[in-house]
Amino acid sequence: MKLSHREKNGVVVLEPHGKIMGGPDATLLHDQLHDLIAEKKLKVVIDLSQVDWMNSTGLGILISSLTTLRNSQGDLKLASVTDKIQSLLTITKLITVFEAYDSVDEAVASFGAATHA
Amino acid sequence: MNRASPDVIHLVIPSEPGRVAEADEFLESALRSRGVPEAIVSDMAIAVTELVNNAIVHGNKSDPQKSVSLTLSFTAREVVIRVVDQGSGFDPSQVPDPLANENLLREVGRGIFIARSLMDHVTYERDPGGGMAVVLRRDISPT
Repeated sequence: MKLSHREKNGVVVLEPHGKIMGGPDATLLHDQLHDLIAEKKLKVVIDLSQVDWMNSTGLGILISSLTTLRNSQGDLKLASVTDKIQSLLTITKLITVFEAYDSVDEAVASFGAATHA
Repeated sequence: MNRASPDVIHLVIPSEPGRVAEADEFLESALRSRGVPEAIVSDMAIAVTELVNNAIVHGNKSDPQKSVSLTLSFTAREVVIRVVDQGSGFDPSQVPDPLANENLLREVGRGIFIARSLMDHVTYERDPGGGMAVVLRRDISPT
């Protein structure tokens, strides 16, 4: 997995590429998310359009980040969820936990005008 | 990789978390070279990486002196995958229900559930070598 990130309207957009299956790749995403939290960047979108698939390790990282961000009055939103990941979110019922949007722009906009620093 | 026969292939990796990708590459390459549809390849990759992760972390306690073996047996219609660790085993019925409301936000505990959801059959048994074996079956015949 490769990971890049950018900021848009005060929201951090993380862009993982490849597969999230555990091991060092998963550590990279986990550490990046928790670094953002430490820097008080608490509005985060993960663009999943370039993620081939993830297993429960990836789902665990998303949950960890979601709960940590929400406990810090921030939030994590998903964008461009692929069919494969949508299916996983559905069978695990995590679709009821995450806010997911069709595009990054919609996910960023969902944070509202208050996100403009 | 040792090729035991044209239809059975085998990989052994040490119990290091970074080796999960090696198991995935081995699996996906074997499936694609046999013409298995991409949707099934990714389902199997998710299920197998779940179980290899479990074997490394929970079965072998990430002890690099212990290994995880992965055996793929192909027929025209089905692939059978056997993941074996060198641990003391566990009772899969004792894993908490990941769909229960109180468990929904747990970061771990979904691997077996996901593997069962994506495969046709998942069974557990003691391996003759002493470790725990998980056997996955999936129909790969053309639809």
